[in-house]
Amino acid sequence: MYWLKKEQLELLVKKLAEEYKIFGPRHDRVSDEVIFDHLTDLSELDLQAAIPYNPPKFILFPHFEEILKYRYEPETKEVRIEQINLLEPKALIGLRSCDLTGLLCLDRFFLGQEYVDEFYLAHRKKLFIISNTCIRPFPQCFCVCTDSGPAAKDGFDLDLTFTGRDYLVEAGSKKGQVLIDELGLAEAGPEASALKKKIIDNSVSSFDSFALENKAWISRATNRLTTGFIKPEVWEYIGNQCFECGACSFVCPTCSCFNIEDANLESSETDRLRTWDSCSFEGYTKMAGDNNPRKPVEDRRNKRFFCKLSYSQSKKYLRPGCVGCGRCARVCPGDIGLPNVVTYIRREITGESGE
Amino acid sequence: MDKNLMPIVSIPEIATIVDIRDEIEDVRSFYFTLDRPEIEQAFQIRSGQFIMCTVFRAGEFAVSLPFSPENDRKHISVRKVGKVTAALHQLEPGDKIGIRGPFGNGFPFEEIKGSNIIYVAGGIGLIPLRSSIIHVLQHRQDFGRVILVYGAKSSKELMYKDSIKEWQATENFETHFTIDRPEPGWSGEVGFVNHLAAKLDLPVSDTVAFVCGPPVMFNAVIKELKLKGIKEQDIYSTLERHMKCGIGKCQHCAIGRTLVCVDGPVYTYKQIRTLGEQI
Repeated sequence: MYWLKKEQLELLVKKLAEEYKIFGPRHDRVSDEVIFDHLTDLSELDLQAAIPYNPPKFILFPHFEEILKYRYEPETKEVRIEQINLLEPKALIGLRSCDLTGLLCLDRFFLGQEYVDEFYLAHRKKLFIISNTCIRPFPQCFCVCTDSGPAAKDGFDLDLTFTGRDYLVEAGSKKGQVLIDELGLAEAGPEASALKKKIIDNSVSSFDSFALENKAWISRATNRLTTGFIKPEVWEYIGNQCFECGACSFVCPTCSCFNIEDANLESSETDRLRTWDSCSFEGYTKMAGDNNPRKPVEDRRNKRFFCKLSYSQSKKYLRPGCVGCGRCARVCPGDIGLPNVVTYIRREITGESGE
Repeated sequence: MDKNLMPIVSIPEIATIVDIRDEIEDVRSFYFTLDRPEIEQAFQIRSGQFIMCTVFRAGEFAVSLPFSPENDRKHISVRKVGKVTAALHQLEPGDKIGIRGPFGNGFPFEEIKGSNIIYVAGGIGLIPLRSSIIHVLQHRQDFGRVILVYGAKSSKELMYKDSIKEWQATENFETHFTIDRPEPGWSGEVGFVNHLAAKLDLPVSDTVAFVCGPPVMFNAVIKELKLKGIKEQDIYSTLERHMKCGIGKCQHCAIGRTLVCVDGPVYTYKQIRTLGEQI
C-alpha cells in the first residue's frame, strides 16, 4: 500500500487526463445532487461527496447511443454500413464499491455469456478504474447485505481509502502500479493494512443503525424468488404500487435492458440507436400485431426483482444482481424499492401484518 | 462451436432479394443471397433457428427460418403485421436487406432419430416447422412414422401448398388437413386442429411432436397430445417474443429464467410449463 497526499490527488488526476477522458463525482449546484459525470473541469472532482444519484453504467452503456450508421439509396439499391468507433480511453475516478460491483456484473453479463456484446466491449477496453472506500454509509445504503461494500475487493486499477487527511492507495492492476510508480508515491508502513481494516470495520458497524430490519432478509428473498414460492397476491401488491416510470431501472447499476431502433428513416443516412429500456414499460414485451404476453403490471414487476435476486440470474453475474446502492428506493414514487420488496416477501414468510 | 456455424453477431451482412413469392394473404416469401461470397458460402443454419432481418430505413425484426439446412433456397416467409414487415413487403427483387444470425438453439435432430414424428401446425405456424419437415424427409429412413396435422382458418390460409405437394410425394409421409369452417370445394376435415388431432390414430411410444401456432391453438393441441399419452418432454415448440438483439443482451425475450434468443426459441413443453409465464 502507498500514501497519496491530498495535494497529490490533483497531480494524479492531471496525469490521467493526459491519456483518458475523466469521469467522477461532482456536486451539481443546480440540482443540488452529486452526479457521476464527465468532468470538463477537473477541480470539480469531489471524492468526499455522497454516493452519486446515478451509477456510472452510462459510461459503458450510454442512455442513448448510435451503434451503427447506414446509407441506403433506394434508386441505386446501394447500401453502405458504417461501424462507429466507440473506443475511447476513459478514467472512472472515485467509484463507490457498489458501483464498481455493478460494473463488474455488467462485464460478466455483456462479455461473459453466449455472445460478446461488441459495443460494450469497445467502451470497456480502455478503462482506468479508481475505487473509493465508503468510510461511512449513506442513509439509503445496504451494500453490506449484498456483499458489495463498503470497500472494493477487486476490479480496480487503484483503490483509495480516505484516512481523515490522506489516502491509502492500493494497486489492483499493472497499470495501477505503473501510475503509482510514476507519481513516486511513498510506500505505507506495515500499519497501513490494519488502519484500512479499522476504517472499513468502523464503516460496516455503522450500518447497524439502519440496515438491520429488512435488509438482512435478502438471502431468504433470493431463496423464495428462485423457487417461485411467492404468492401472486404479493406480486399484485407490489405491482399496484408501480407507476411504470422505469426510474428504478435507470438508476440501477446492473439493469441493462435496451431497445434498438433505426432513426432518421427519411434521410439517406440512417442511425441505428441503442437506448435504455425498462421491463416496467407495458410495450416492453409487445410484439408486432399487438400480442403482449406480459401485460399485467405485476407480471412485469416480478421480472425486475427476479433479475436482481434470483439464483438463475445471479449465475450470469456470479453474484446477486443487487449491489445494495439503494437508489431504486430513493427514486421510486411508489414504495417498491428493493429493500421494501424484501420486506413484503419477509412479511409473507413470517406471516406478520403490514404495519 | 463449428467455425462454419459462427453467426453474424453485431453488424448486419448485406443480402440481395432474388425472388419474392406470395404465399397467402399478407404473407410473402423473400428469397435472398448474401452479397459477400465467403459469407454466402459459410452461412449455415439448424432447423428451428431464426435471424434478425434489417429492412433498411425501417428497422430490424426477428424472423424464423423456413428453409432446410441442406439443399434448400435461403428465404424467409413474413406476414405483414407491423411497420417494419410492411416496409419489407414493399421491397422488390434486387433490393437489399441486412442479415444477422442465425441465432437460437434449433430443433433437435440427432436426438430424435428413430422416433415417430408428429408435426402439428396452425396457420403460419407451419413456417418455423417447414425447415424441420424437409430436413426429416431428406433423411426419411432415419425416422418412424412422419405425420403432418395442419389446420388454418380457411383453405386460402394454408401455407406452402407447393411444398406440401412435394412432401406428399415422399413415401410414408402422412398428411391431415383441416379448416375452421366448411367451404365449397373442400373435401378435407372441418374444425380446429386440436379436434382433428384428437380423432387421428397417432403413435404414442417413441414419438416426438412439434407444435407451432397461435397460443390458443397451441394450448389446445398440447392438451390432446398429453391425453393421448405423449410425454411433456417429447413435445417441442418454438416460441415467439419481441426481440432486439438476438444475442441474449437486450432481455426483451425473457421468459422465466430463460431467454428465447439463446435458450430457445425451441422449448419442450416440459420446459415451457415450468417457466411460469403465459405463452
